[in-house]
Order: sequence, then structure tokens, then C-alpha cells
Amino acid sequence: MAIVETKELTKVYGRGDAAVTALRKVDLRVEPGEFVAVMGPSGCGKSTLLHLVGGLDRPTSGRVALNGQELSELSDDALTRLRRREIGFVFQFYNLIPVLKAAENVALPLVLDGVSPRKAQSQAQLWLERVGLSDRTDHRPDELSGGQQQRVAIARALASEPALILADEPTGNLDSRAGDEIATLLRRVVDEWKRTVLMVTHDPRIAAYADRIIFLKDGTVVDEAHLAGGNDGAEKLVRQRMEDL
Amino acid sequence: MSYYMRLALRYLWGRKLRTILTTLAIAFGTMLIFGMNGLVPAVEAAYRQQLMQAASQVDLTITGETRSSFPETALDVVRGTPGVAYVSGSLVRPVVVAPADAPVLPDGSRLGTIVLSGIDPETAPQVRRFRAVSGRLLQPGDGEVLLVSESLARKASLEPGDRLRLPSAAGVATFEIVGVIAGEPGAISDEVYTPLPVAQALLNQAGRINTIEALVAPGSDVQAVREAALARLGSGFKLGENQVGSELQAAVEMGEVAFNLFGVLTLAMGGFIIFNTFRTVVVERRRDIGMLRAVGASRRAVIGLILTESLLQGVIGTAAGLCGGYFLALGMGAIVGPIWSQALRLSLGGPVFKPATYVLAIGLGIGVTLVAGLWPAVSAGRVTPLEALRPAEGEASWKPARRRAAFGLALVVVAVLGLASGNLNLASLGAVLFLAGLVLVGPVLVRPIAGVFGRLLELVLAQEGRIAQGNLARQPGRAAITASAMTIGLAILVALGGMTTSLESGLFRYIDQSLGADYLLMPHSMVLGGGNVGAGPELAEAVRSVPGIAEVTTVRLAMGRIGDTDVQTIGIDPESYPRVAGLEFSAGDPEEAFAALAEGRALIANGIFSAQSRLQVGQELTLQTPEGPKTYRVAGIGMDFLNAKLATVYVSQENLARDLHETSDILLMADRAADADPAEVRAQLERIAAQYPAFSLLSGDEMREEYKQMYGMAMRLLHLLMVTLAVPSLIALMNTLGINVLERTREIGVLRAVGSTRRQVQRMIVGESLLLSALGTAFGLLGGLWLGYVLVGALNATGFKMSYFFPYGGIVLAVAVGLVFGVIAALLPARRAARLDLLAALRYE
Repeated sequence: MAIVETKELTKVYGRGDAAVTALRKVDLRVEPGEFVAVMGPSGCGKSTLLHLVGGLDRPTSGRVALNGQELSELSDDALTRLRRREIGFVFQFYNLIPVLKAAENVALPLVLDGVSPRKAQSQAQLWLERVGLSDRTDHRPDELSGGQQQRVAIARALASEPALILADEPTGNLDSRAGDEIATLLRRVVDEWKRTVLMVTHDPRIAAYADRIIFLKDGTVVDEAHLAGGNDGAEKLVRQRMEDL
Repeated sequence: MSYYMRLALRYLWGRKLRTILTTLAIAFGTMLIFGMNGLVPAVEAAYRQQLMQAASQVDLTITGETRSSFPETALDVVRGTPGVAYVSGSLVRPVVVAPADAPVLPDGSRLGTIVLSGIDPETAPQVRRFRAVSGRLLQPGDGEVLLVSESLARKASLEPGDRLRLPSAAGVATFEIVGVIAGEPGAISDEVYTPLPVAQALLNQAGRINTIEALVAPGSDVQAVREAALARLGSGFKLGENQVGSELQAAVEMGEVAFNLFGVLTLAMGGFIIFNTFRTVVVERRRDIGMLRAVGASRRAVIGLILTESLLQGVIGTAAGLCGGYFLALGMGAIVGPIWSQALRLSLGGPVFKPATYVLAIGLGIGVTLVAGLWPAVSAGRVTPLEALRPAEGEASWKPARRRAAFGLALVVVAVLGLASGNLNLASLGAVLFLAGLVLVGPVLVRPIAGVFGRLLELVLAQEGRIAQGNLARQPGRAAITASAMTIGLAILVALGGMTTSLESGLFRYIDQSLGADYLLMPHSMVLGGGNVGAGPELAEAVRSVPGIAEVTTVRLAMGRIGDTDVQTIGIDPESYPRVAGLEFSAGDPEEAFAALAEGRALIANGIFSAQSRLQVGQELTLQTPEGPKTYRVAGIGMDFLNAKLATVYVSQENLARDLHETSDILLMADRAADADPAEVRAQLERIAAQYPAFSLLSGDEMREEYKQMYGMAMRLLHLLMVTLAVPSLIALMNTLGINVLERTREIGVLRAVGSTRRQVQRMIVGESLLLSALGTAFGLLGGLWLGYVLVGALNATGFKMSYFFPYGGIVLAVAVGLVFGVIAALLPARRAARLDLLAALRYE
């Protein structure tokens, strides 16, 4: 069973003359253990797709299913629980809570899920270690570099052991070196820790780390590419496709 | 510590200044409520401690129903009741010791009021246990000798052989202390005992007592004997001791209500600040809240987080308020204590905090904070994860909520109708509706008002003024809410200004009217019934005989009861009183009313009593007297200054003597002949006053000056309270300006990028702040004038008649406060806006 499945997914913002169609009848399948990148020009609906899949927004029509569970059938509370347990989010601007230390930020989804603070804390330590930040557990976000903050965000996304990680331009705010580190880390998320990653990016170099790339234009899937992963040839191919768009 | 608690604490800690300012608002309110409620019981405790007669452990205590005295023959009636074994009668009254004669206490003050008991040396020991700690007990045939209670002896360092001078109807009497007696368990009052005939002479109550105590024969049913004795005495008697000091308590309680009102208003302002702050917090943390929601925090969890923060502030603010309140009560006690002991001849102890006071202060402090945090918390719960992750869009809501404005307008119309109705309740409701209406209509009025004030502003800040004006007009809802914080603060300021101006003119008119004589022989306690010993007719005669005195009038006092109300019954001479002094009438013709008093059983009721009992001129009332019920006709409604706070009726001295057996003069007033030499008259009067230490001689001018000083002190206190009410509006304005800057970070970055200097950005924020405060001030003036009018109306309804005076001073003050606050509130946000890092601001979402 696909971990993510959308059928004729459509999202329209606004009404009447001001209506803008962000997504138009998108059909998408993401299999467990896949690393999928979504690419396309600005305003093509990449982020909208991610938000709908993550249950952060409701579609105008069509459906989204996560592990076979129809999201439109869920109440706000059920959707919240689902986000807490099944999905990990990584955002462009990290979105860490500024007043909490790194380990506390990572433990947050666990605490929200009722896990005991001690267990949540040890789990957080473990994940910070895995992302290479074992020496930064007591640092506040403003004491960390952008790349480090994003690694904390990835640790937080993984802490509750979700099956799916949704990353929205995770390297958009980073320099190329830090961007590569984050992309490598996401690759490890799939290869070592056996999670599924759905990532939105506009950077062909970062997209080249994925197994498969979906190209969107004007809210519609226009192309798809399967990659070997993380090599120059793949990056060239992606650049070429983007230019064609 | 729970995660939410930790998160809440960290957020509060992260914004220390704001946390402190908002918490202060709650602390202020709690402090006022707690402090004042601690002071008032202290006053009550002082009264109880010093004046309440110790509860005796006798089987039967009977007193007069109206607290007046009755003939000694009543003792025989009780003695003849089957089952009664021993009976004794006494005359118990508080007595103010003249300051010159009062022993000095360890704290440096002088003894004020004591409880004097005239007892029968033969029968009293039969019903009560008297044990001499030193010296001896009273003996038959004793003259002017005293027993003092152990606690008083200790406090005033008195011992057998010492002498104590007490005021008497004939002037002054010197007593020798013959013994110190052990108090009954729990007795703490300052009591002295003297033989009954001596007390009767001292108090001008020959042959009269006011308390009967009895023991029941072994084996008799105590309750049945009590009832039988009461039945045999007939009407006019009751079981139990006299409650001394209820007059004073009424005055004190009135003060308590006023201070509580202030406390509640301050707390309401505090609540408004908390509300405003948390609105700011929710906007500021939109992204954090959205992130929490995205990673799985439920709406309830987000609401819980915001409420936890407000709860923390409520708890800290309330705790600080309780501490502050304690010191406020201590401080107020230190300020009020000396005035109090001078005016009422009672010494004030430390603050007393009852459990109910804790419950009230804590409940209101924390309750108001939680309620204020609720709305922002719920709106935080409504933040969707997605909203938080989207970049903030420059909102440009030009259209204010018209439906809300229409509703607000309807409220204003209803409020105006309420005011026009002339009904106080409707007018009061109207004032609240008016303020609520203004807050709702506010957004619609923002543009036109900003336009008018904006033009003025452009004269000073040409370019920035126009941008500031545009910024306000773009967010009329937010501007109106900010302005409403100022509106409420200033409305209260203007209202109190109106009330104090009216009160001042009203009070001085009362003083002029009722205490306007050239000379006054005043008792030491300003509450006439508070233990002052009256003088016999000789004093008035002596004053009358002074060459150069044209007219003398006296005031006498007894307690009566009408319906369920204890009323002070003041005896005046209907002929001389209106010539020397007078009453301020609100109903009835003064001449006819005084004439009616002279002709028969008629009374003039004061405002408070007439308001309580809804009296009308011509109505008949039944006054309970020791002689049984007597019917009096209401001849007019009018009052004097000293008795304005207490339910009082004025009758002729002839009727007072006949029905209530009171013939002592408690206050004397005299006018000088036009051709008399003031210095000579004064010297003569001083010689007479020296014979009567219970009285002090004052000229009308001195009296007025004394009251002016007391009024001045009260006003300073009031102004301090007004400032405490105004400070929260400043905090609110500052908070909302802060949020404006924060929300427009990117816009300010653009302004800087296209060439605005830091100074221009600063001036723009100051301009906005000035416009907002102008808006708040304009609304505040309107609402405040109304509220002030209603407050004066409320005072009128309690019977304290006064006219409404337009508070020019209050308006000038409000405008000045508005301008100054406008600038002060802008300082921090303007600095912050000017210092924004240009690139960071442009990147800010």
C-alpha cells in the first residue's frame, strides 16, 4: 500500500474572479521508503501539495490518503494526532521554539503525545546524536547556525518515529555547504532509518539526492524522473528538465 | 515541572519588561482591594477593642431597644420576675477623654476613648465577678472613684492612687483610681467603673440606666426567665448588650465600598492590559503556535499554554498585590492613624486581614487575569498550522466592521435615552453602554478623527504625520482597540475629576450652611455619637452670657429607631438653630419645617435616611422611644455636615427630652454681635471652654480651614489612586504600539530601503502614538463626562445633595496625560523600529 496517495487533488484559493487554482486534479503515489522530491517554478503548487498531504490544509476537491487513511474524513483532533504520530515536518525557516533548548525542541512532539518527560528527553538526546548534534543539546536556537537549527528540526521530525517526513524547502535558507549536509541527512533518513521523505525544493542540486522527482507546472504534474541518487549526472538531468519547464 | 509550565515561564522570562508591566497592572488592583480591606477591619477592630463592652457571663442582659437609657425603676420590674435571683443596673457609655487630660501611652499617643460603666457597688458583684488585682473594689458610699480594667491599667500605666480627669456634663470631674480589676476572659476593652450615681451625674442622666444584668435562681429555666422579664418590661427593651460604635462602622464601611470600587476598576484595567498583551503575544507567536499545531499540539493544548501564562502572571501579580496591599494598609494606617485618633479619639492598630479578604483579593486577581487571557487563548487555538507557516501578508482592511459599528451606535443611542430618562439606574447602565458603544463604533470613527487630528499633526510632522495617519486608517479596528485602553483610563480620570469638583463644592456648601457660625464648641470625636460627653445647660448659659454674643444654639443627640433602622436623633432648638446654623434642604420649605418642629412631633430627615426609606414630606413615621412608639410627621428633608453619612432625624430639643430623655448639649454654636470685639469675645469663650475639656473652641474660619486640610489630604490620596488607574492605560498603549511595529517589520524595512532615515521612522511611530492617544482622549473625555455626571447623580441618590460641576481641571489634566502618554508610549517601540536591521527586516515574514 502506498504511504501517500492523492486522487484528483484540487485546491482553489479565493472565490469568483479572484479564484486561483493552486493544484489541479493531481494524482500521486509515494511508496514506503521512497525519497521523492517535488520541483517546479514558483507558484506551481509545490508547497500547497505538501500542505495538503500533511493535513495542514483541506483540499477543495479530490482526496488524500495516508497509509490508506482518508484525511478528509478526520476531525481536527484526529488530524492533529495523525500529524503528531505519523508525520514529521521540516520547514524552510526551521520553526524551532526560540525559548526552548535544542533537546527540548526535539522532545516536543513526544511530550505533546503524552510520553513521559524523561523518556522524551532521552529519545531527543538519541536523535540529536544521530544528526550529529550531541554537543549542542542545551543550546537555544539563537545559539546555533542555520544548518544546525535545521538538523535540530530534522531530529524533531524524526523523534516521534513517524513513517513520513515532509520537508518544505529544507535548504532554502542555507548556504550550499549546509544545504548539502541537510540533503545528505535526509538521504540517511531514508536509507538508514527507513522513513519516507517527500521534499519540496527548487534547487536541482538538492533534488538530485532523491529517488524520484515529480515536476509540477501550473498546479498539474507534468513530468516525473527516476534517479540513481546524489550524482552529477542526476543534477544535470534535473536542471535540463527544469529548463524545459 | 510540566512542559507547558516550562514553556510559559520561558516565554514570560523572554519578555521581562512586558511581563513586569502587565503583572504590575494586576498587582495594583489586588493591592488596592487587599490593602483597603485590611485597613477597614483594623478600624473596626480598634473600635471593638477599645469601645465594645466585654461580653459578660450573666444569665440575662437587657438593654433599651433604641440604645437609649431608661428609668432605674425597670430594675424592680426585672427583680419581681419569678426565677430571677440577683439584679443589677448600670449606665455604660463610651467617653472621649479630653486630649489634655489623657494619659500618654507607650507609643507616644494619648489615650482616646474609654468605656465608662456606672455600677451599683452593692448589687454588681452579685451578678458579675469583680476581682481586684491591686487596690480595692467599689464600696457603697464611694464618691468620684474609679476601678480600671487590668488591660487599661497596663496600657496607660495607671495604678491605685493615680488620678484621672474625665469630661462631665458640668465640665470636668477628677477621679481617684482605687483599684485595678482582672478582666473577664477575652475582655480587651479599655473599661473603667465608677459608682452609678456618679456616672449618672457625669453623663447628665440622673435616675437612668441603660443596662440590666441578672442571674437566674438555680433550677430555673434561663430562657423562660429571660422571656418573662422582657414581657414584664413591655416594649422598648431587648435582650443583649448595646452594640457601641455602629454609627462609626457605617461611615467606615462607606469608605470601604469606595476603595473596593477603585480596586475593581484598577483590576478591570489590569484585565484589559492582560487581554491586550496576550493579543500581542498571539500575533507575535503566530509562527510558534502554528509550528506547535503542525507537530501535533491540539487546540486545547495551545489554549492551555496561553492560559498557563496568564495564570502565572495572575498568581505572581496577585502575590505581589497581597504583599503590596499589606504594606499599603500599614502605610495608610500610619498616615490615617494620627488623623483618625485626632478626629475620633481612637487609636488604630495594625492591619487585620480576614480570610474573606484573602479569598476576595486572590479570587479577583487571578480570576480577572484568567478571564482576560481567555479570548486571546481561544484565538490562539484557532491559529491553523498553515496560517503560521505562510508569510505574513500586509493586511489592508479598509472596511471597518460595519455591523459591529451599527450595534455600537445602537448602544450609544440607548445610553443617551438612559441619560435623558433622568433615572439613575438607567443613566448608570447608560454610562457603561456608552463606553461599550464607543469601543464598537470606534473603528468607523478612526478615519474621520485621525483625519482631523492628522491635520494638526502634519503641522509638526509633515511627512511622517501623513504616513502615520494612513497607517491608522488602514487598521481601524486595531487602532480603536488601542485607543479604547486610553479611553477607559481617561474616562475614569475625567469622571473622578468631575466628581471631586462637585464633591468639593457640595461639602463646603454643607459646612458653610450647617457649621457656619462664628464660634463652635466642638466635641473631640467628629462622630457625634462616638463617646462625646455632653454638657448640661450651664455651658450654653455661660456662653449666652458672654458680652458680645448675639445668639447661641445647641445640638443634642440620642439614638432612636424607625422601622428597622437605628437613627441618630438630633435635638435642635427650632428657633435659634436656623439663625446660627441651618440645614441644606432638598425637600420641604425650611421655614415651615422648623416651625413644624417647634409646634409638635415633627422631624426633618437627612438625605441618607430619606433615600433609604424613600420618605416624603408629610409622611408619618413611628419613632421607637423608651416611652414607647411616638408618631412624628416628616416636615422636610435636609441635612448638616457632621451627620451627612448616617441615618439621622432632627427633632426639637423639647421632644428629645420628653421622648428620649436627652438634655445634654453635644455641640454649641454661637454668633457674635456685629459691634462686638472679636478678641474680647474669643478670650471670654476660651475661659469658659477651659472649664469643659470635652469641648474645643473653634472659629468658623478655623473649622473650615481644618476641613479643607482634611479634604486636601483625601484628595491627594484620590489623585494617587487616579494615577494608579491611568498607568495601566499607558502600558496598554505601549503594548499595542509594540505589536504595530512588530507586525510591520517588513514594511518598515521597505521604508528604510527607499530612503527613510531612522529619525523619520521614529517620528512616524511617535505620530501614530499621538494620533492614537488623541483618539483615546477624545473618547475618554466624552465617556468621562458622562460617568462623572452619573457618579454625582449616585451621590445625590444616597441623599448627599450636590450639583454637577463641569470638571475643567479634569479635562485639562486628561488632555495633558493623553499627550504625554502618547509620546512616552511611543519611545520604546519607536526606538525599536528605528534600530531594525534593514536586511533582517526585509527578510522578516
